[in-house]
Amino acid sequence: MTELSAHPAIETPSTAPPASYWTLAIRKMLRPWLVKIFAAYIAAVLLISLTVPLLASGKPYAIDIHTGNGWVTRYPLFADLTTRDYLTFIAGAVIIGIVVAWRLTRVVEMMRRRSLRLGIAGVLIGAGILGGSALAILHHNRFDGTDYRALIKSGMAKNAIFAPIPWGYAEMEPLSKNAINELPSWHHWLGTDRSGRDVLARMLWASRVAMGIGFVSQAIALSLGIIVGAMMGYFGGIFDLLGMRLVEMVEAIPTFFLILTFIAIFGRSILMIMVILGVTGWTGYARFLRAEFLRIRQLDYIVAARATGMPLWRIMFRHMLPNGLTPVLVSASFGLAGAVTIESSLSYLGIGVRPPTPSWGGMLNAAGNPATVFHWFEALPPGLALFLIVLAFNIVGEALRDAIDPKSLS
Amino acid sequence: MLSYIIRRILLMFPTLIGMTFIIFAVIRMAPGLTTAGGSFAPGMLGAHQAQLAQQHFMERRLHLVTRNGKPIPLVVQYVQWINRIIHGDLGTSIKFSEPVTKLVLQRLPVTLVINVISLIIIYLVAVPGGVLAAIYRGRFVDRAFGISSLVLYSLPVIWVGSMAIGFLANPAYLNWFPSAGLHATNTSHMSYFQYVFDYAWHITLPVICLSYGGFAYLAKQVRGSYLENMFMDFTRTAKAKGLPPSAVLLRHVTQNSMLPMITIVGMTVPGLLGGSVIVEKIFSIQGMGRLMYQATYARDLPVIQSMALVSAAITLASYLLVDIAYHAIDPRVNYD
Repeated sequence: MTELSAHPAIETPSTAPPASYWTLAIRKMLRPWLVKIFAAYIAAVLLISLTVPLLASGKPYAIDIHTGNGWVTRYPLFADLTTRDYLTFIAGAVIIGIVVAWRLTRVVEMMRRRSLRLGIAGVLIGAGILGGSALAILHHNRFDGTDYRALIKSGMAKNAIFAPIPWGYAEMEPLSKNAINELPSWHHWLGTDRSGRDVLARMLWASRVAMGIGFVSQAIALSLGIIVGAMMGYFGGIFDLLGMRLVEMVEAIPTFFLILTFIAIFGRSILMIMVILGVTGWTGYARFLRAEFLRIRQLDYIVAARATGMPLWRIMFRHMLPNGLTPVLVSASFGLAGAVTIESSLSYLGIGVRPPTPSWGGMLNAAGNPATVFHWFEALPPGLALFLIVLAFNIVGEALRDAIDPKSLS
Repeated sequence: MLSYIIRRILLMFPTLIGMTFIIFAVIRMAPGLTTAGGSFAPGMLGAHQAQLAQQHFMERRLHLVTRNGKPIPLVVQYVQWINRIIHGDLGTSIKFSEPVTKLVLQRLPVTLVINVISLIIIYLVAVPGGVLAAIYRGRFVDRAFGISSLVLYSLPVIWVGSMAIGFLANPAYLNWFPSAGLHATNTSHMSYFQYVFDYAWHITLPVICLSYGGFAYLAKQVRGSYLENMFMDFTRTAKAKGLPPSAVLLRHVTQNSMLPMITIVGMTVPGLLGGSVIVEKIFSIQGMGRLMYQATYARDLPVIQSMALVSAAITLASYLLVDIAYHAIDPRVNYD
């Protein structure tokens, strides 16, 4: 009896549900401090890339301007944001809201209900779509060419509150100041580039291109890979044969060559690069999911599900997919690293994102011809940022792989 | 053995034909191929030059898809294209106004040499590293090698390449290496050894840039397969009968761990070819990768489709070699 009551789980039965497989895997993945740091770094870069219009801008948040009617308070930064900026904010807020709600409905006992969870997600997505479309209709992008710094200097404006980094990504220092290729200073924390633009502001804005292209392209690749892989693995037979041949053919062309081919043909807007990286990167996911589905298909619970006459999509996507997704998600982490690398390489070669939109690769290229006039202080920050984010994705991927490896201990 | 090789080569053809379908379909999807007013990317040309190039480009392009003012049906175009490929004619480059076959033959050896040297270096570093990591598993050597190879794998080539040129090949800092090309300008005056030395000196940085990223994957596989075989029954038997540890490792474990090492040759080749686009651009080497880059920049479709085809053929050939090597090493492997 004493032995039993010494066991806390038996003495006070907890109503908390057993932690899910994924919770366990992520908890185990995050155990080493190194992985914790790099996971936090990814989260930080994501947050920066979502909020960068508020962090680095040449327009002040608020400013008092002298007009014919006396002093008027204006909010140039918010007026200057484009529809796309606002849509990004809304999308980010919806995603963060869903993640928080998911976590709450798991942890807080009163809220532990599936319907509540789905309800919150539905309301958030609905609100996001409504708000986004209202914004897209009502909001007009406008070009604000006012130089607020000059206004302040001339005494026509006062009480300006600037963003933490008071420079936009395309904002150049006036030619008269001859502030090109400057070393880091108090004024420009990471110096200026060859057009007199603030390097730090461009660095932060470039994180948006890198993360945007990385995540969207891999989302496209994942969806394609999951659809093709699931079909191959579940149906087998002719689907499997033809699908695998297609996978082999796409894989036989070196990825970078394939991407260059697509870019030469379809152009290189940001959206196109996302689609191209997605369309060329799905084969690995399809391979992994196929192998998993071939294994799971024969398990008892799938046979049972089929025997009860469950609809096909429900068997495939609610019963099989969650159990077969693990190796796919591990390779998605490496896929993200690869997509960020490829995007920056394309921009470095001058066939990626178009200037003046900043990209880490493009900034590396803009640091000058390394063999003659090389501004290494301009090449250091983007290279380092690129290296760290790729390393972070790779380390998290490795840790996740170790965490779900049945052969690893504990 | 011979029958196996023949069967394997025959099996390659459906894949190759399917690939020509894909490449042809993708190229024909190009907007503006048959209509007027397409976009020729002017690159670094002046206004007049760009206009001439545009005109030239349009004429060539129309020549590709029409005859006597009538469009050629797609099927006929495809068959004609395949027929030309079989006869060794890959078309004429729009940008260089030269036969693509000639361009490819000029540039393929350069890329192949660099890639093969890089592959050898990858194996020379990663295999001993992986074996050491397996022997000292969980200890300092293992973790240090694992982490450093992961860090190397994550280092972007564009950064390392430009930093290497900027500091090691720049007169302002250390002028140890040449920054571009494969030869000095005065090769005709050199003796044979001078020539070889000059060549080695020129390809040092490009080969380093091409190879350092490949260590991680191979070393991990080698470590894994060694670990697996080190605890097998036959290894225990070998130890029990009193063989020295080195003999156990070299003869019994290594022989059984060789298959994954060979598989990875085939998997590394496409990556190296893709990587050579960047490395050849950074170091101004006139190889396949740079040709691909120039063609992409100028939307030179005949070159692009040929390059996709040639690189795919190289990849398939490396798969083929891998399979034959597999068969030669382990006769149990059978593909019936």
